[in-house]
Amino acid sequence: MASSVKVAAKAGRAVQPKPSLTDLQRFVEHEVRLLDEQRFEEWLDLFADDGIYWVPAKAGQESPRNHVSLFYDDKPTLKIRIQRLRHPAIHSQNPRSQTVRLVSNFRLERPAQDPSLYLVLSKFIMFEDRPDHERRLFAGHYSHTLRATSDSFEIALKRVDLTNCDQTFSALTQPF
Amino acid sequence: MMEYSNEYLRGLVRDDRVNRAIYTDPLIFELEMQRIFSRVWIYVGHESQIPKPGDFHCTTIARQPVVMSRDADAVVHVLFNRCGHRGARVLNHECGNAKLFTCMYHGWTFKPNGELAGVPMRRDFPDAALGKPRAAMASLPRVESYRGFVFASLNPEVQPLLEYLDEARRGIDELADRSPEGEIELWAGCHRYHYNGNWKLQFENMADMYHPAATHASTVGADGRQFSRRTGERGGSAPFFAPNGEAIVAQTGVRGLRNGHSSEASLFREEQAGGVWDEYRALMVKRYGEQRAAEILRNRRHSMTIFPSVDVLIAQTSVRVIRPVAVDRTEVLVYPVRLKGAPEQISTDVVRFVNLTHAAAALIQSDDLEAFERSQQGLAAGGSKWILVARGFGQEVDEGNGVLFGDRSSEVGQRAQHYAWRDLISAA
Repeated sequence: MASSVKVAAKAGRAVQPKPSLTDLQRFVEHEVRLLDEQRFEEWLDLFADDGIYWVPAKAGQESPRNHVSLFYDDKPTLKIRIQRLRHPAIHSQNPRSQTVRLVSNFRLERPAQDPSLYLVLSKFIMFEDRPDHERRLFAGHYSHTLRATSDSFEIALKRVDLTNCDQTFSALTQPF
Repeated sequence: MMEYSNEYLRGLVRDDRVNRAIYTDPLIFELEMQRIFSRVWIYVGHESQIPKPGDFHCTTIARQPVVMSRDADAVVHVLFNRCGHRGARVLNHECGNAKLFTCMYHGWTFKPNGELAGVPMRRDFPDAALGKPRAAMASLPRVESYRGFVFASLNPEVQPLLEYLDEARRGIDELADRSPEGEIELWAGCHRYHYNGNWKLQFENMADMYHPAATHASTVGADGRQFSRRTGERGGSAPFFAPNGEAIVAQTGVRGLRNGHSSEASLFREEQAGGVWDEYRALMVKRYGEQRAAEILRNRRHSMTIFPSVDVLIAQTSVRVIRPVAVDRTEVLVYPVRLKGAPEQISTDVVRFVNLTHAAAALIQSDDLEAFERSQQGLAAGGSKWILVARGFGQEVDEGNGVLFGDRSSEVGQRAQHYAWRDLISAA
């Protein structure tokens, strides 16, 4: 976690010690570990109130408005999704999936227009195993747009570009 | 190859039950490709997917690759996607635009209407070998469209499209009439999902109002309401359970139509209203007048399922295409619809909500996919040859014009599908 990072809650209010790539990387590693461990409520808490979880369905997709997406959830929708993942009658998760994500090749970009935001780019591989189902393998790029908070970061946007985003899928239940 | 008698095939569908072999027998699947998918009208695409000359959109009919294209005179064609020379598939992208369609193998080119345009080193071929239409990209025997919905048939003797659609055309009308210009567009790509199960499992599900209480229990919140399936301060989310504990959706009616089509009554009893919906309503009233606009906006039908290839989703404002791949494998594509002339936000909200309802990751669809796969697995079991489609059997109301209405999530729609299937599969 980047809990040791001391930054002001909002941009421009105080001099902000610049978080290192390592701090941001640890945050992302923590974020995906919560998914691996199915700690969905804690995962949801990482999102800003106006945060978005987006998995485009087209390579280089520019907007979620004029093209379908695999996921395009604002925080209230994510909350419904997670409540459903906990629901005893979610048949597509009976039995449950187990997942593991490997995340690597981190790179940091600072969006010029908003100094309170950090764009953390990385690559990932995710395995999903569910009893009586073939092992599934997903791969792609993560783009985390993170906003510094008083003691950590919050997710303004998590964008996941799968290498096979425009292909056909069997049921998808796990966020990537 | 083993052959089945028409009498055996006819006996697979009884009045209130069907033989499980129709989902699991690979030979029956091959017969379906020949006797159903090669014999009736199959949905190919919507004209809005190919607005400009040279635009093309590829799909399959009875597993055969075909392409819908628009020629230089703006005429829509449906061609076999196959080079007239050695048979390679010519167009290798699902959609795009090209002045000429070029085969990668030996470089032959074709006009978007299928005519042969160019042959490298042509003089080495005898003239007779290149004569029309042999060397062209051949047209399908029959192509017709209704309000932009393009259908084609491999059967030259197929009845006219409107006669085949029969009462089902009203479903296309209901969706297209929701546009203040009376026209829709497929504009936002499509969701794609597949499952290891027979195509009829998806098809029956589209006429099944009985399953949501059990299948989709996880979509209902602690307040007893399902998550919002569409926008609108009113008419968006709906309570899921009636006071007597039954799912409201299971109390609604279904219609079985001629030729295997079916339709479910809408889940929504209120017009969508508030914000941009008020602006939209004003446009509708301007175009249709108050009375007709109110009638359209009331949304009579949840969807219209057109046997055996397409589902016109009216409440969810999208089009769903079913592609059989193998006896136990099916691919489905769901296209959000834009209502031409409506405020942009109406259409962008449809895109957003279809993500949640009818996609691989959708809150609803993912549990349907689980149901289809478990059905395919369960149908492998012996014990009985039969599965039931008996709900509401004998209680249907004949509304005329071949329409049978069944209240309270009657399986009358599935029976209509099976009876049409039986008549086609057992006709040599």
